[in-house]
Amino acid sequence: MSTSKRNPAITISALALVVLSMASCGGDPNSPGVEYMPDMYRSPAVEAYVDYGQDPYHFSEELAQGQRNTQSAKLPPVGTIAFAADASKAQFNMPYTYPNTVEGYEAAGLELKNPIAMTEATVEQGKVIYAKFCQHCHGEKGEGDGAVVTNGNYPQPPSYTAALKDLPEGKIFHSLVYGKNLAMGSHASQLNKEERWLVTRYVQYLQNGGKMQREMAAVVPATPAAAPATN
Amino acid sequence: MVVPTKMLGMPLVARISERSPGLFNISLSVILFLFASVAFAQPDGEKLFKGNCASCHKPDKDMTGPALKGAVARWEGKGDIHAWVKNSSAYLKTGNPYATELFNKWNKSVMTAQALSDEEIDAILAYADAYVPPVPKGPDPTTVTPEGEGSNWPWLVVIALLLLVVGLSLSGVKRSLSNAVREAEGKEPEPDMSFGQRLRNWAWHNKAAASILGLFIVVFLILKMWDAAWVIGVYGGDEVPHYKPEQPILFNHTLHAGKADKGNLAINCQYCHSSAEKSKHAGIPSTNVCMNCHSAVNEGRTPEGTKEIAKIYAAVGWDGKAYTGKPEPVKWVKVHNLPDHAYFNHQQHVSVGKLECQECHGPIDEKMDVAEQWAPLTMGWCIDCHNTKDVKMAGNGYYDEIMARLEETDMGHAELKKYLDDEKISVKELGGWECAKCHY
Repeated sequence: MSTSKRNPAITISALALVVLSMASCGGDPNSPGVEYMPDMYRSPAVEAYVDYGQDPYHFSEELAQGQRNTQSAKLPPVGTIAFAADASKAQFNMPYTYPNTVEGYEAAGLELKNPIAMTEATVEQGKVIYAKFCQHCHGEKGEGDGAVVTNGNYPQPPSYTAALKDLPEGKIFHSLVYGKNLAMGSHASQLNKEERWLVTRYVQYLQNGGKMQREMAAVVPATPAAAPATN
Repeated sequence: MVVPTKMLGMPLVARISERSPGLFNISLSVILFLFASVAFAQPDGEKLFKGNCASCHKPDKDMTGPALKGAVARWEGKGDIHAWVKNSSAYLKTGNPYATELFNKWNKSVMTAQALSDEEIDAILAYADAYVPPVPKGPDPTTVTPEGEGSNWPWLVVIALLLLVVGLSLSGVKRSLSNAVREAEGKEPEPDMSFGQRLRNWAWHNKAAASILGLFIVVFLILKMWDAAWVIGVYGGDEVPHYKPEQPILFNHTLHAGKADKGNLAINCQYCHSSAEKSKHAGIPSTNVCMNCHSAVNEGRTPEGTKEIAKIYAAVGWDGKAYTGKPEPVKWVKVHNLPDHAYFNHQQHVSVGKLECQECHGPIDEKMDVAEQWAPLTMGWCIDCHNTKDVKMAGNGYYDEIMARLEETDMGHAELKKYLDDEKISVKELGGWECAKCHY
């Protein structure tokens, strides 16, 4: 038993410090915290979006060094074609052959045809894709008045009901694959070929002013607004 | 004025002259005057620019094509800008040296021929020359979200401790006063004891109160520890501060995905996280998806934003016009860390369950400049939703199949009736609480 007189204020201040430091430990937004029993937290099998170079649990330092900065999102090997369980969808896994040139664009406009029929169901499916991938720039009705244009001061895309009214389906598809000009990038990494054809159907539906008829792509060989085929 | 049908096809001037030939001369002069003031008035340059040019040209900056500001001055005395705009490839064939120079400078890209009149082209170029960049609309991203309210209890503890210090010093004052009184009364002063000695002294003389107080303190501490044990390894939900790591590029979710009427860009979550409906992972967009827009947007709403956009260019290897072919990975920090022993699949929840992203990820489009872990991701949280949420059965191929199988047999019918006791079918009733659904 100590007989020395201690100022209680010192004890209390020390306690307060401990409490505060504990509180700050738990509140660091940059810390994912201490792993409690990490054995089952980390997958020894390779999972997406994990940098195995940072995994201290399953690899030796030498191996970890080799794994460091390996990308987890990769392109399929060149020249491979994905397997389609449904044979009717196999055509959508075939490569796109038109080159990313003015000539390729014109040729696609003349030759390329949509393998998906224009029905209420496909227009509806296309609308869902359009709302996710196109609407923020091209606008709900395709008039080029999406929020990115109006709020973001983005270059305005031409309207489907005016300048692009007669754009053939092949050119719509080509622009989805390679992008158009600087303002529209390629959407090939986000939409597979089937989805691109579906959304092309919905764009045509908008070109027709919200109607399904006017299968115009076959009738209009080249648009007046289009660039000349060769120069 | 009712116009006779046979006149409808005629030009206005002809119609008027036919109806009242005597008035013709006066009308003609009036009409010519109107024509001069109305029809030759400036066509709307801004509207024409946005409709015909804006997808490739900016007024004040180079994009796919050159900035239109100063184009008239640049062309002065070098050629016919009108013919160039109307059909650039035809004009190139005339061999104009400045046109050829421009064509080569801009990677030999052919400008779409424009069906515009000379006046309209003049109006567009006048608009571009007079263009002043607008002040960006929308909320200032730096003030969108107030700092999340941190938990208050450390401060409460500090205040309580301060009060204790004040109380103890007051008791010291009281003791010295009472000692002074005792001294004045000629008694011995109270023995000078430390805080601990007095506490022990008090506890010895008030055993019942001390035991009860001690019991309370022990129970309180145990309960606190019990609560603390529940949130070990939990970095979201209501109980703990959310895990909100700083990312290598300070991407602002609210600005990109927030509502359009609040000045945000209203880009669908799945535009960038496009694998959410196709794969186990929602996916972190690779930089080519950023570049779908940011090849044309190189300035943020704030100087800080512009710096962050420059980081995308560094990562994707973009020199402002073309790819350099030297990309660097962006080391995004994973926010939602589900342990390996629990299986979760985005596709099931987005495509079949038709859940909105915000149901699990919180108001990421409204008040999360920085993405954070909103849900606790505990097993209790998972299975609570599987128990209470109504499954959207209608028009869903996956559940159509389940319903068809249930309705095949009498036993299935009885089961279905049991499920519908509370007028809804939950995931639990369809087997969502079986261990192997998530742990295998």
